[in-house]
Amino acid sequence: MIKLFSLKQQKKDGDTNSKSGPQKKASAAQLRIQRDINELNLPKTCTTDFPDPDDLLNFKLIICPDEGFYKGGRFVFNFRVGPNYPHEPPKVKCETQVYHPNIDLEGNVCLNILREDWKPVLTINSIVYGLQYLFLEPNPEDPLNKEAADVLQSNRRLFEHNVAKAMRGNYIGSTFFERCLK
Amino acid sequence: MEVNNSSVEHLPQLSKRFGHLRKITERPGPFCHANFSASPENLEFLSTTCKILIIGAGGLGCELLKDVALMGFNDIHVIDMDTIELSNLNRQFLFRKNDIGFSKAERAAAFINARVPTCHVTPHFCKIQDYGEEFYRQFHIIICGLDSVVARRWINGMVLSLVKYDDDGSIEQESVIPIIDGGTEGFKGNARIIIPGLSACIDCTLDLFPPQVTYPLCTLANTPRLPEHCIEYVRVIQWEKENPFKAPLDGDDPQHILWIYEKSLERASQFNISGLSYRLVQGVIKHIIPAVASTNAVIAAACATEAFKVATNCYEFLNNYMVFNDGDGIYTYTYAAERKPDCLACSNIPRSVSIEDPNTTTLEDLIKQLCEDQEFQMKSPGLTTLIDGKSKTLYMSTVKSIEERTKCNLTCSLGELGLKDGQEIMVADPTTPNTIIIKLKYNTNEVEMK
Amino acid sequence: MSSPSPKSPELSEKDKKYDRQIRLWGEHGQRLLETANVCLINASALGSEILKGVVLPGIGGFTIVDGRIVTEEDVGSDFFLDTQSIGQSKAKCCKELLQELNPDVRGDYVDESVESLLESRPDFFTTFKIVVATSLSEKTLIALSKLLWERQVPFFYCRSLGMFGSIRLQIKEHRIVESHPDSRQSDLRLENPFPTLKQHLDATNLTPKVPWLVVLYKYLQKWIEKHNGKFPRTYQDKEELRIMIREGMTADEENYEEAIRAVNSSFGGGKPPTALQNIFDDKSCNELNKNCNPFWIIVRAVRDFIQSENNGYLPLAGVLPDMTADTESYINLQNVYRQQAMQDADNIFRRTQQLLRSLGLEEDLIQEEDVHLFCREVSGLAVFRGTKISDEYEKSYKSVHIAQELRSPGSLIEHYVALRAFERFQTELGHTPGECNVETDTAKLKSVASKILSEWGIAETLSDDLVHEICRFGGAEIHSVSAFVGGCAAHEIIKIITEQYKPVNNTFIYNAITSESACFKL
Repeated sequence: MIKLFSLKQQKKDGDTNSKSGPQKKASAAQLRIQRDINELNLPKTCTTDFPDPDDLLNFKLIICPDEGFYKGGRFVFNFRVGPNYPHEPPKVKCETQVYHPNIDLEGNVCLNILREDWKPVLTINSIVYGLQYLFLEPNPEDPLNKEAADVLQSNRRLFEHNVAKAMRGNYIGSTFFERCLK
Repeated sequence: MEVNNSSVEHLPQLSKRFGHLRKITERPGPFCHANFSASPENLEFLSTTCKILIIGAGGLGCELLKDVALMGFNDIHVIDMDTIELSNLNRQFLFRKNDIGFSKAERAAAFINARVPTCHVTPHFCKIQDYGEEFYRQFHIIICGLDSVVARRWINGMVLSLVKYDDDGSIEQESVIPIIDGGTEGFKGNARIIIPGLSACIDCTLDLFPPQVTYPLCTLANTPRLPEHCIEYVRVIQWEKENPFKAPLDGDDPQHILWIYEKSLERASQFNISGLSYRLVQGVIKHIIPAVASTNAVIAAACATEAFKVATNCYEFLNNYMVFNDGDGIYTYTYAAERKPDCLACSNIPRSVSIEDPNTTTLEDLIKQLCEDQEFQMKSPGLTTLIDGKSKTLYMSTVKSIEERTKCNLTCSLGELGLKDGQEIMVADPTTPNTIIIKLKYNTNEVEMK
Repeated sequence: MSSPSPKSPELSEKDKKYDRQIRLWGEHGQRLLETANVCLINASALGSEILKGVVLPGIGGFTIVDGRIVTEEDVGSDFFLDTQSIGQSKAKCCKELLQELNPDVRGDYVDESVESLLESRPDFFTTFKIVVATSLSEKTLIALSKLLWERQVPFFYCRSLGMFGSIRLQIKEHRIVESHPDSRQSDLRLENPFPTLKQHLDATNLTPKVPWLVVLYKYLQKWIEKHNGKFPRTYQDKEELRIMIREGMTADEENYEEAIRAVNSSFGGGKPPTALQNIFDDKSCNELNKNCNPFWIIVRAVRDFIQSENNGYLPLAGVLPDMTADTESYINLQNVYRQQAMQDADNIFRRTQQLLRSLGLEEDLIQEEDVHLFCREVSGLAVFRGTKISDEYEKSYKSVHIAQELRSPGSLIEHYVALRAFERFQTELGHTPGECNVETDTAKLKSVASKILSEWGIAETLSDDLVHEICRFGGAEIHSVSAFVGGCAAHEIIKIITEQYKPVNNTFIYNAITSESACFKL
């Protein structure tokens, strides 16, 4: 088929001056995110919120852990999916201030598949499960909030206490955490 | 200088100037493509009919413009949103110091037009996304000299969307615009041809593009070991926290770079990490890819050769990928990159769905059809479409917040939803590994719009 | 630690302009480039493209030698000629438009043919760092090749004919310190740790925070103990070591995982690879003299160091790859390697000073930083000894290699023979094959080619199609082919000047019809 390809007889018409002309086809990134969203299989502790249902590239994930240190809390993550998805991972930030070894006070999340271990075969669902796991098993070995990690490692009871206190809306050390109970 | 396009007066001038090209376009030869017929018409086609678009007027773009101009192409367009910087001058040879700050596309076009009076270059100082199908449709060939995966995927998607299919699903050849794509990095490069819908496209071979280097956040925050870790920490975490200039980070602002340099240096010395330099900071922040004149010249030349083959049929063109590396000796390798059967960009041929009457058929009816039809047998399809270039979610049952806001669409007729004959609908469903595209085919012509 | 100097860290104007290439060949490479002069013999699209590729990155200067006048056809294929150039000196016009590319570069021209210059002032050519030529007659090529070989001036001969092109490098001896290999094997000395490393590793406790190197070292000791002092060599040995490490894990410690992955690639470094051993065995290393290149003096110092006091091990490169670990334990380990590397380099530097003295040479001929760079790059050192182009034109030239290559279908060596036949045709018949009549010239070119091959004692013949295609070209120079070959040649010139990256060895052939290329050692 390629061998038969020939340009010569082709006539082209088109408007050099038109700046408009909306795209009629969805991009590969859009097609892919639509599948990811349609097939979201959320654990019962998670819900999504699409502020604009026409925009599947920007949404929020809400995690309400039902066990572990963070039981009873409500944590909101903001997802931004770029035009290079899934070649590049979505940008995910935690919007709720949380006392957590792997989440810093700016909302940066230390989850390997969000950065160095992202692969295009992974989906939004993989990230949701990864985030959920962070609340069940905070990992003091990869800390982003060093103080919280140190407490978790040295005194599990104190850590548990601090988490509960922070979720009720309190100071831990010099940092104030807003209330985030359900 | 105005170019005379009438071929009668034009050709005698060409005949002398292009004496070299005439030898291989007007003489038959043993290695020529089966479709080739030796004749002056080949050069005439290049100079009077063929329209070629160069995307990017940077390292590859400057070379490409020169190359296609001297390969007999006449009607050349070039598009680039960038302006000229000092660090471009070691390879982007159509620019001089007093061009700094001006449009690359415009300066490059002016230079070529002055040097090569037989050709006419039209510059477009804008983003590729600023133009739509009407613009891209006019070209016979598009050559890309880009450094971004996003831009490559966009133009790939655009050219694929121009491909028309007959009712029996076969490609209408006139709608196909070949893309010739070049890429370089240091002493490595590649040149390839994409015949949209027929050979491997950018999305089929996405894994050929190396992912950006990223470091674990916790390494940046707690256990930095390399100078890069210190720089990334300042960029990702400290900048956001301190926001020193009340503005997003701009890699081209020397003050921003200086701030990052100083903070990184502080952090590095705090952790006893050595080897942090200003050049390294710039490299990490701006994701600088080393570049030399020679590799760009080689890859652009390979692309121009292929464009010439495609346009004149004089030889069979590259099938379909060449890699080049002259870091150790000189090495090339050509192979046929394969299409991905499930490629989202190029294997997604719209399937027709026949609609009796768009004014009585509701969205719910359409979904029912997708679930019951032998061809589809879907379970819980989620539907979106594009209206005036903007994405619109028609219905999605699996996500509660979307379902609530879109269920009102179910009882609307397709006409009421603004869906026209030939409208493409993207459908995701658990029964298909990828989102598929369906094309509405109305059996009645009249659509009542409300 | 001394505080950084207060001056602005921002780069100079020149550093900014050349930033993207300095990232490849460094500031020292750039300095070499900026002081080099090249000579181009015969302006052409190919010649211009070669010069463009060295003028843009900022070569010191160039000189074009060409006695011809610009024709309209020239302007059609060479971007560095314009309509106003027609009828004027080609060397002059081309020089002007090329120099306009970069004000840092000095341009010059000689409006005279290479033949007359060779006759009147042959020394002219030996004043350059490199000479590059296109479109020479056989006779001139042979004369130039002999002259430049004898005077040790590196010489490139490049061709662009229709859809084919070639580059031939003639250089007597070329030495490369920085070959920039694509991947480097780390030299970690785990099997034979130097004293400070052994001390450091023995004193470090195994925790999840230490670099994998420590993990691997500790388990290697256990393995060696278990096997009576033997080192793991075979796949099975290594597998056993991997299992031992895995069994030592209590959680999913990342440094243990990294140690397991590193088992395969971490041993065996530090001994001279064959290519390096050949350099040590080279006559130039063993018979130093007053006129030898400083390279050989450093090689000798390195060899003496390895043999007399380092148990056959190379000076340490001192480069530790990144590995998951806390900052302190990584940096401490890195310092152990760096300090040893510094010590080795200092030792070798002292040896070079001794050698210089004993040869009666100035001590500042070799700088400390030269030796440090040398030691860091030692495993990739390369010496390239070329052959003379004129030998290919001797009646007695018999290349087994060519005969062998000609028998393998699709080999581009055929194109080399075809380009040679093209030149011989011009010598014997006085015109370009296919210039006017493709058919009659094809038959003549065929017999010229057969004659060359039989002179070489080769029974194979060229394919009729290839001979026909050469005649079809009729001497045409296709711009994109010249631009491809010119780009390649420009970078080869830069490799020679900067003494970095391995050059082509020694003939490159390009076929633009199939987009293929190949290299041959002629």
